[in-house]
Amino acid sequence: MRVMIAEDNVLLREGLIRLLTENGIAVVGTSGNADKLLVLVADDAPDVAIVDIRLPPTHTDEGMKAALKIRAEHPETGVLVLSQYVEVGLAMQLLGDSAAGAGYLLKDRVSNVKDFMDAVARVADGGSAIDPTIVSALIAKQRKRDPLDRLTPRERDVLALMAEGRSNQGIADRFVITLRAVEKYVSSIFSKLDLPTTGSDSKRVLAVLLYLRG
Amino acid sequence: MVPLRQGWGTSGTIRLGLLAFGLLLGATAFVDATSRGVPPELSLSFLSGYSWAYLVAGAIAWDARPDSRIGPLMTAVGVTGSMLLFAGSAVPGLSLLPLAGVPLMNLFLIWLVLSYPSGRLSSRLEVATVGAAGLAVGVVYFLLRVIGPEVMDFGAWVLLTISTFLLGLIVHHGVKASTAARAGLAPMLVAGLLVVLLFSGESLAWLVGISTEIGSPYQWACLAAHVAVPVAVLVGLLRQRFARAAVADFLVDLGDNPGPAELQEVVVRALRDPSATLAYWLPEYDSYADVDGRQVNLKPVPGRAAATIVSDGVPVALILHDAALDEEPKLLASVTAAIGMTIQNAQLQVELKARLEELRGSRIRILQAEQSERRRLERDLHDGAQQRLIALSLELGELGDRLNGDAEIRTRFDAARQEVTASLAELRDLANGIHPAAVSDHGLAVALESVATRATVPVQVIGATQDRLPEPVELAAFYVVCEALANVARHAGASSAVVDLERTPGALIVEVRDDGVGGASADGGSGLRGLADRVEALGGRLQVWSPQGGGTRLRAEIPCEL
Repeated sequence: MRVMIAEDNVLLREGLIRLLTENGIAVVGTSGNADKLLVLVADDAPDVAIVDIRLPPTHTDEGMKAALKIRAEHPETGVLVLSQYVEVGLAMQLLGDSAAGAGYLLKDRVSNVKDFMDAVARVADGGSAIDPTIVSALIAKQRKRDPLDRLTPRERDVLALMAEGRSNQGIADRFVITLRAVEKYVSSIFSKLDLPTTGSDSKRVLAVLLYLRG
Repeated sequence: MVPLRQGWGTSGTIRLGLLAFGLLLGATAFVDATSRGVPPELSLSFLSGYSWAYLVAGAIAWDARPDSRIGPLMTAVGVTGSMLLFAGSAVPGLSLLPLAGVPLMNLFLIWLVLSYPSGRLSSRLEVATVGAAGLAVGVVYFLLRVIGPEVMDFGAWVLLTISTFLLGLIVHHGVKASTAARAGLAPMLVAGLLVVLLFSGESLAWLVGISTEIGSPYQWACLAAHVAVPVAVLVGLLRQRFARAAVADFLVDLGDNPGPAELQEVVVRALRDPSATLAYWLPEYDSYADVDGRQVNLKPVPGRAAATIVSDGVPVALILHDAALDEEPKLLASVTAAIGMTIQNAQLQVELKARLEELRGSRIRILQAEQSERRRLERDLHDGAQQRLIALSLELGELGDRLNGDAEIRTRFDAARQEVTASLAELRDLANGIHPAAVSDHGLAVALESVATRATVPVQVIGATQDRLPEPVELAAFYVVCEALANVARHAGASSAVVDLERTPGALIVEVRDDGVGGASADGGSGLRGLADRVEALGGRLQVWSPQGGGTRLRAEIPCEL
């Protein structure tokens, strides 16, 4: 897997490079700003670009704009946006009309090596990684108007993991249950919430997020 | 002592001398004309129309407005006009006088009409036109005398061309004049048009072969038109005198302590200049301010002029007016004197408004200083402590994977990691509390969606767009919504709320409505007071409606141009 990183904080950039390299991922380009990242990606598109949402010169939305540009111009490259604040609106902006190859995580998540590597791998494979903070906020919001009582507690947990972008296998590993059991939960959730069944995991993410957003 | 005067101002002796000379010249011409058989009533009416009317009106104008060139010009027309009657004189030298009189009288007359009321021609084109007209008339008249009437076959065309050009110039004068100037110009424009029209009519008549001999009705009409010019000058003088007399009436209207707005209105009426404005001198601010207390720019503007108002020997205000009013110095002097007597109250009021304006400016500056300080703090936290902690937790995460053996060390290590994670979460909340970076970085719509998502009741956001507004406006709107939704959570007992954003041409209107119990008061909590301060500092206002049992509606109107 080939990864590029845009992060202006040297300490963090070096930490990320080390973390990825040690986990067998090739870091093929790094940059401290958005413009250089765009040039690097255009030159030799990687599997994933990891982008800090705040980049020079203004440290406002440069990273977000670069992420959207990469998603529009290089659909084969996955984009994982890291940020110190997570906003539902930004997640939805990033996904646009497809959750394929898109991730949006709190920067803190890098400390959980296994989860973070899993997220990078999913985004590289055309899947998604949505921060649990966003998903839990959306589920809490949805429960205010529709208690989701039709779902069992376990089904609600599965719904949350689906919204984060995890695959059935990932969900099975997390809850230590069989793949068959996960598939049963998923189809039950879809029929209870009256959602159209979808083919890929990333389409499933978007459908669930849109449902929760209301 | 002879008072010093501007322009052509001159002593009474010279004025009287010129008047006497003109009258004497006219009398001589009358005797001369009568001696060669011209009917006395004919030469008398000729003299009164072309000379005496000008001499008399000129003397009056000269006396009333010594600094204006109108008096001297009128006198010049009167003197040269009397020379015309010497045409056909049997006395050898005298018969040559019209050769100078005809071009000069026309030159002065055209000069007078085009330059009224100042007597100064305003462009090179006008100077050239006046000169060319005088010269052309002179040449045609000279050839007429030397060669004979057949010259007019050609000369009439020349005169007709010049007349047409003059008509254009006069009409242009009337059109381009400012409102304040036009009323004073009107009589002279009409008189000038009449003179030039009849002058060109004479040339036309020659070309089509109609007689315009002396004594014909047409010549009587020309005479009447020529008298219209001095009449116009006298009408103008009378009008100025009436305007000055009216100032006293306006003073009575003013009453004891007129405010700035009333004084402003009186100045406009007294000067008959809708564009006139008062600017008050505020010594404390070392600048002039208008009736609303805003600083006035005093850069010279073409067509505008200023008159100083003095009270107790100190300049206290200016009247900024149409430059045309410089032709009525006495009116300006009466108005400034009258205003000077009653201005103190208005000046105090304007000073008060200036203070309020200053206060408003400093409130905005304080707010902006606070905001930029908060933004800086948040940025420092983000770039410093937060990044370091994240790098640290990354390091710890990696180390954790390599940790093996002792279960107790494992447990304590994990607890330490949890501490770092908790610190990061706290730091994030702290940074967000200091400055909501998402608002500044990504706009109101993005930030509000998160706020609405996290609210305790379902919140519908209406009218949010991705269009960005100035940062202070977005932040104020954000705080309004946050505070309103926090109140909904605390007191309202509501089951849902609506956040309604509306963009009007000058402002952003934020309204938050809930279906709760109502009864909230605008000055109840310090939160709402602080919010009102923030919105008012931006020149907006915050209103709360909260009838018992009828829900609460909070509405902020925040101007977008700061």
